[in-house]
Amino acid sequence: MKTPITIITGYLGAGKTTLLKYILKKTKDKLAIIVNEFGEVAIDTKIIKGKNINMTELAGGCVCCSLTGEFEAAIDEIIQKINPDGIVVETTGVAEPEAIIVDIEENIPKISLDGIITITDADAIIKYPTIGHTGRMQIEMADIILLNKIDLINKKQIYKVENKIKKINDNALIFKTKNCEIDINYLFGINAKKIVKEHKHHEIKIDHFVYSSNKTFDKEKFEEFISKLPKEIYRAKGFVKFKDSSYLFNYVAGRDNFERFKYNKNELIFIGENVNKIKNKILKNLEKL
Amino acid sequence: MEIQKPHLKKISDTEWEIPQSYKKEMNVPAKIIGTKRIVDEMDLQVYDQITNVATLPGIVKYAFCMPDGHSGYGFPIGGVAAFDPDNNGVISPGGIGFDINCGMRLIKTNLTYKDVQPHLKTLVNNLFDRVPAGVGSKGFVKLSSKEFKEAVELGAKWCVDKGYGWKEDLEYTEENGCMETADSSKISDRAIQRGLNQIGTLGSGNHYLEIQRIKEENMFDKEIAKKLGFFDDQIVIMFHCGSRGFGHQVATDYLQTFLKVMEPKYGIKILDRELACAPFNSKEGQDYFKAMKCGVNMSFANRQTIAHRIREVFSNVFKQDAEDLDMKTVYDVSHNTAKLEKHKIDGKIKELLVHRKGATRAFGPGRDEIPKSHRNIGQVVIIGGSMETGSYVLVGTEKGMDKTFGSTAHGAGRTMSRTKAKRMFRGETLQKQMEKSGIYVKSTSMPGLAEEAGKAYKDVHEVCEAAEEAGISKRVISLIPIGNVKG
Repeated sequence: MKTPITIITGYLGAGKTTLLKYILKKTKDKLAIIVNEFGEVAIDTKIIKGKNINMTELAGGCVCCSLTGEFEAAIDEIIQKINPDGIVVETTGVAEPEAIIVDIEENIPKISLDGIITITDADAIIKYPTIGHTGRMQIEMADIILLNKIDLINKKQIYKVENKIKKINDNALIFKTKNCEIDINYLFGINAKKIVKEHKHHEIKIDHFVYSSNKTFDKEKFEEFISKLPKEIYRAKGFVKFKDSSYLFNYVAGRDNFERFKYNKNELIFIGENVNKIKNKILKNLEKL
Repeated sequence: MEIQKPHLKKISDTEWEIPQSYKKEMNVPAKIIGTKRIVDEMDLQVYDQITNVATLPGIVKYAFCMPDGHSGYGFPIGGVAAFDPDNNGVISPGGIGFDINCGMRLIKTNLTYKDVQPHLKTLVNNLFDRVPAGVGSKGFVKLSSKEFKEAVELGAKWCVDKGYGWKEDLEYTEENGCMETADSSKISDRAIQRGLNQIGTLGSGNHYLEIQRIKEENMFDKEIAKKLGFFDDQIVIMFHCGSRGFGHQVATDYLQTFLKVMEPKYGIKILDRELACAPFNSKEGQDYFKAMKCGVNMSFANRQTIAHRIREVFSNVFKQDAEDLDMKTVYDVSHNTAKLEKHKIDGKIKELLVHRKGATRAFGPGRDEIPKSHRNIGQVVIIGGSMETGSYVLVGTEKGMDKTFGSTAHGAGRTMSRTKAKRMFRGETLQKQMEKSGIYVKSTSMPGLAEEAGKAYKDVHEVCEAAEEAGISKRVISLIPIGNVKG
């Protein structure tokens, strides 16, 4: 079972630490977060020294790690010691995320990339006319973009900033936030380990609908269906049965991911904005596949 | 947000100007060095970035982009800009780069290809073991934080005092291997923690170590080549590395400081946050300058230690002393720095803070900064090409002093992002191809190797030719790789 990994990028001061703290407050999962500095996230907690990581335990079973060795080795150590439901990595504000992302996908078989979240500072984008090289790369690579600090600018400016971001990345989901407050169900995919533990989806309060059946899908047709999902669907996740095996399935912002998984039926959940309007059409299309 | 390509005013076949009128905030025009083809193929962001640089306070003459330019953090890589400290001139981490004093060193030998060829694999494998590569790799100079602070204040000299190298190495290193008045009290604990065990490590990305072969037919100026100690079929060793996580942390720390004070305290308005800066003569600017010098010195110490390891490996394989193998440092140059230098402006000598990011100092003949034995030929410049295309040795020129504050290119320059290169090329295929053409490669990561595929870079030959045509440096010799250790 692969451990999902989520990458958080964003310019210095955009709100990466704020989002991390918010996630930790809201999550019911056991997360291992990798941070640059313990600083604000874990104050006054005891640091446990490992080989490739230093660690502190947080409330609710989550742990906070800072890298002391190589990234790959650190990931191994985290999985071995903690076996978390998911790993969240906070990159430095000046990091170009591309190197780390390709490395993850190709070099570390134990994990799968769940999503790249980029936090942008709406106020700063208004203040400085140019989105710099690194900022641009961070936006380009993102699956989910938080347009943060919208409380500091007016409606017209929000519209302007959103357009500016869309010109760089038209595929990503853009959420307008204040203090990075967002329903964290949007941020994370389905979690295999958690499912095995609980045998059911945890309660979801956001706009969503569910599909379940026992039929076997044709993989190609299913992938085509997914690629044509309307923009209102932010995320889709769950289990799907193909001829060769069942798969754990995750979709975010135009990017999908399948991992072989033992399960005996189709169970899919679609999450988005006002999805009830398009629910019937999507369910019908699924039946027709 | 879409960038329009500005109209480029042709000054000569290799000089192109973007006039000051292009952006109302520009204080000086921008100038790009390169053939028409090179300039046409530059990514559009370079134009935007170099003209943003031209808006910074106190900038003198032009914001320059060298022929190997491509977009980077704030400044383009290949950016050169001089600021007048007496006219509110600034210092900017984005204009220096995060890998402070990333640079090149070239070591010669008295061995020929025939001597080395049978031992090539052993040499490369031993170098791979002795010079740690890869992300987060740890060196074997184990230091306490007190020792580390000493090392970053003294640079390569600290290494030589500890027995890692020869006294004359210092003479053949830019700044003699140490920028003076570096102050480790201006460095954060986090930076020290990150750097502590990284002296003597190559690192990842485009950092590498190469065994190269010289051929007489590749000598552009035989007389200078001879003076520098090169001969036909000679084996030399070139490597590229910097200040690792330490320099990165220093730059990040001060970037944050500058973002806080830049506008509220100093009233500096910039177009792109990545250009965060502070007046050079402010407390914050001076603190960063002293901290940056520690980054520069850490990098000199790093390359000095690696040079020592290379000598050990060769000495072990050939069962001879490194001295007997004549393994002298030809030169060691810096890429990512800001330095106070004297330049002639409108007939008067002025002290300016010259930022070079992914650009090399290339002082012309006669300057005091050049080692005595090279002084009449100009400063040696080492240009690292891609593994597949080879590298160059150039010298600085009189004309370059006038034109670009004595600066030239630093390498081939990327044409595509790392991600794209990884998608287009496979490390394994590349390794096999190179082995077929007689180059033995050992890398810590195959995708990392793919990032460095020759096709991901500009044509190094064209870059060096353009720099010569523009008069900012002169080609001496080109070098062909036969063995490569990639970080």
